Amino acid sequence: MPSGQDIAALLPFLLLVLGALVLMLSEVFLRSGGRGYQSGLTIAFAAAAALAVPFAPQQVLFGGQAVSDGFAGFVTMVVCAGLALSALLGRGWLETRNMERGEYYALALFGASGMVLLGMATDLLLAFIAIEVMSLAVYSLAAYPRRGQRPPEAAFKYFILGSFASAILLYGSALYYGATGSTLLSAMRGGGGALLAAGLSLILVGLAFKVAAVPFHAWTPDVYEGAPTPATAFMAAGVKAAAFAFLTRGVLAMVAGTPFAVGNELGGVLGLLAVLTMVVGNLFALPQRNVKRMLAYSSIAQAGYLLVGVIAASRPESRAQGTSAVLVYLAAYAVTVIGAFSVLAVMEKREPTPDAGSADAWDVSRFAGLASRRPWLAFAMAIFMLSLAGVPPTAGFVAKLSVFQAAAGAKAWGLVVVGVLTSIMGVYYYLRVVVAMYMQPAEMEEPAAAPPTVAIAIAVAALLVVVVGFSPEPLTAWARAALLRM
Amino acid sequence: MVPGTHYLALAAFLFAIGFAGVLVKKNAIIVFMCIELMLNAANLTFIAFARQSGSMSGQAIAFFVIAVAAAEAAVGLAIVIAVYRTRGTISVDEVEALRDR
Repeated sequence: MPSGQDIAALLPFLLLVLGALVLMLSEVFLRSGGRGYQSGLTIAFAAAAALAVPFAPQQVLFGGQAVSDGFAGFVTMVVCAGLALSALLGRGWLETRNMERGEYYALALFGASGMVLLGMATDLLLAFIAIEVMSLAVYSLAAYPRRGQRPPEAAFKYFILGSFASAILLYGSALYYGATGSTLLSAMRGGGGALLAAGLSLILVGLAFKVAAVPFHAWTPDVYEGAPTPATAFMAAGVKAAAFAFLTRGVLAMVAGTPFAVGNELGGVLGLLAVLTMVVGNLFALPQRNVKRMLAYSSIAQAGYLLVGVIAASRPESRAQGTSAVLVYLAAYAVTVIGAFSVLAVMEKREPTPDAGSADAWDVSRFAGLASRRPWLAFAMAIFMLSLAGVPPTAGFVAKLSVFQAAAGAKAWGLVVVGVLTSIMGVYYYLRVVVAMYMQPAEMEEPAAAPPTVAIAIAVAALLVVVVGFSPEPLTAWARAALLRM
Repeated sequence: MVPGTHYLALAAFLFAIGFAGVLVKKNAIIVFMCIELMLNAANLTFIAFARQSGSMSGQAIAFFVIAVAAAEAAVGLAIVIAVYRTRGTISVDEVEALRDR
């Protein structure tokens, strides 16, 4: 029987599920055409879930399959912030296209509940279920508009590669179960040998698909481009945070107590993944004139920097530093990327007919001369681009700095060098957008006005990015405090 | 009595068929069936190990996976139908409006 303590520890998750059910029913009992309250309700449930985090007791749940510790609490906060911001964005984006329905917000809330559960999971079966809850909701969000060719195609590609990855992860879990007699992450202490190594490799491949690490990244650009922009923003922020949370937990459990010398081999494999992801992600982003696709490749590159943080976390000398760097990075990236996609949502071309397959809807030339027409919008986009590039004083700089510091603490100099060099490469394509906005003459038609909710989302995100950039101490202190309760 | 390793070998074989099918096959429904095959190979592995070790947890896991696979089928087939409606084909190769250009 679950005790009151268990329910209190699960409260953030339960509130999100309740919110999803309420939003789904709101569509059934809808009397008038007004749907403005739905995004408000979504934000209220996200806020309630975030507010419940400090009150959640630190507790082992479901017989050791999950834990409500500071780490999970931090991930929950990031997911809830991403959910609230993307709901604001979704409200404006969907309303102007006349496709706002309660199902959109219900799916987002279901997805967020899966992400929160994944942040808490310490067991492979629970992680599999959480990943599926999250993914099934996000696949549906990608296909949500149903009009036109792109959204269903994005969902189709995401679904096939995503469930392929889930199946690989599950088979790896089955081998893990055979080697250790349990699916708990802590059971790694008991096992060893080829069976465990094979299981862990397959699990790592499955997770690498989910976090879009090279060479398992092929789905990312297509899915990010084809999915409706608010859904893209939500998946870039939330799915990445949740998947990296579980990857970090898994790696920490792995180095905590495996009998064979897994530390070195694991460091080698993860290091290779990180280098490939940083280099390939940035290289492919370079020629992209389509800003949405550029942001997709940039999200792959960011996964590489996050992997550097995970590697630092796997070394005993930089464990706390690396883990808190991953958390800081996830928070900074989530806010920045949602802000960037919000500006993109305002700028994107609205197709006259849904099937018009023009690829220039997000072309960088649409940003030309934006600074003279919409100075604030251009200024916000410049902030987000600088944050993604890791230029001070922005949250992205704080995040990159903490990840590289952690890697330096682990004496992983090669990774630091590759990371810094690829970051410099990244500056080129991020600044291309800034240059277009500030130095090129306006040629396109006047951009549409930002809907008020989208403007709020952009303002909040930009403010957070700058505030964290100028005074990072509260965020980093919070991340460190989260680790003390782990 | 069939030894446990036979079940494990069968499961590995099924997983390999499913894995290869996802990579090779063009029809989205076949690809989807191959993914289901991989999930069931994992189920069979769980059950075979549970039987070997005499613990019940592996068998319980199979039920969870069956439920998840059913949910996945519902969403997956809906997406396949949405793709078919917008372009009249479900061939994995012909669905390529989104790509690098």
